[in-house]
Amino acid sequence: MGAHYCAICRQTTFNGKGHIFGKTHQSRLRVVLLKFTEKVKEARRTLKKPQVEKFDCTQHKQTFWCYCCGCEIEKNVTDGNMTVLYGGLLEHMATPEHRKKTHKFWWDNKADPKFRDKVIVTEEETERFKAEVAKALESFVEKEDEYIKQHAEHIRAQEKHRQEVLQSLLERDAEPELLNGPNGTDSSVENSVSSQFMCQGSDQQAGSSFVDSMGEMPWTPAGHGLTFIGYQDSSNSGNVHTGAVPPWLQDDPVEGTSRTAAEPEIGPSIHEFLKHKEQEKLRKLPPNRVGANFDHSSHTDANWLPSFGRVWNSGRRWQSRHQFRQEEGQKHRQKRRREHGTEGSKKIKTTDQLNT
Amino acid sequence: MSLFLPKLTCKKDIDEVIKGVAEKVVVLRFGRDDDSVCLQLDEILSKTSHDLSNMASIYIVDVDKAPIYTRYFDISYIPSTVFFFNGQHMKVDYGSPDHTKFVGSFKTKQDFMDLIEVIYRGAMRGKMIVQSPIDPQNIPKYDLLYHGI
Repeated sequence: MGAHYCAICRQTTFNGKGHIFGKTHQSRLRVVLLKFTEKVKEARRTLKKPQVEKFDCTQHKQTFWCYCCGCEIEKNVTDGNMTVLYGGLLEHMATPEHRKKTHKFWWDNKADPKFRDKVIVTEEETERFKAEVAKALESFVEKEDEYIKQHAEHIRAQEKHRQEVLQSLLERDAEPELLNGPNGTDSSVENSVSSQFMCQGSDQQAGSSFVDSMGEMPWTPAGHGLTFIGYQDSSNSGNVHTGAVPPWLQDDPVEGTSRTAAEPEIGPSIHEFLKHKEQEKLRKLPPNRVGANFDHSSHTDANWLPSFGRVWNSGRRWQSRHQFRQEEGQKHRQKRRREHGTEGSKKIKTTDQLNT
Repeated sequence: MSLFLPKLTCKKDIDEVIKGVAEKVVVLRFGRDDDSVCLQLDEILSKTSHDLSNMASIYIVDVDKAPIYTRYFDISYIPSTVFFFNGQHMKVDYGSPDHTKFVGSFKTKQDFMDLIEVIYRGAMRGKMIVQSPIDPQNIPKYDLLYHGI
């Protein structure tokens, strides 16, 4: 007998080989095989149609554990730029050592022989796979090349477009200069001037002439369908891109005139500051206390307390309330009578005194 | 031009709005009222302004009336939309070359609402630049002319 460590149950048994026929071992074995064959199924699907993808360092370096050999194998095959998915797995399954070990594993653990062939990859299958992989790699490389070419085309087109835009803008500015020219007598001078302008068609000239011809320029939309409103020259003041002070933090030049009397105060006034202090104190209190959302500015009238206080009475509450309401009613009626100025006022006063 | 969105006509008004609106995104549309794309954008803005009223305040600015802002934000194409939060200019990466503003109109109202929500959430967590949730196909394309070529 002796100690025997079963890798599947992860337990040491002392009953020798009897353990393998037991229920727990077999059930665990089934689970393990299921998981394993799932992975192999995925890989087999790519046997006939290998998938080649661009190398993604986050995903493609995965390894898996081969139960038969008891070692970790890389799932994919990669050369840094491209990967063949499941290449590593299939390669491993094709090796003769793996075959031997698989047979041993099946025999040792008394597993169902039906599944055994699924885990092994025959030689013909590997040959087929290698041919397919070569083809797939070629087509992948072609696709990548095409993609790069497209990108290059796009960039070239953009460059060209920009050049055209600049050229036509320069020509437009050169034209009015030429038209102003003809008033001069010397045509040769005019020519030299115009040629000067053409030569100086560098940034400086372009910048200033843009500013001059800015304004209502419904230019052909360089942004498809968007109106171009002219080039914003912000070389003297700053720009959001250059990190200048934003206009809303700059003082207005107009503001200075109205504020000569009082000095411009910065910060909140005393009143606001005290209010803020109070609010800070409130913020420390628990937010779900009673009356947290009490509106202090709401109006309350005198009837908010149910004060119909008969202090020394015994009996039911509604009786005292009833009596209170009756007296209220009488009081109101008497008040109205008084207002109308009736003559029985003295009598009413005495009864009033008795009642209250 | 939208009849329902408030307009800002001078630098002082714009300053007050940017500095005054607290804990809400400030959306400033720079453009002209008679431009067709601006009208489309204005329609989207006005239709969504009520639903977004807790998160954003939307204003219209005419690009000719505040030239200092037009120069500062380098607005060459209209409409351009700029976003602020608590006096801070918010940048958004749309996949276009300029992160400081959104050029053009939105394709759907939902795009604009998603963008405002992302800006609001990012700002609440302290981010000054956020990733736009809009599909890059729906972002209007334009060429950026570089200064001094």
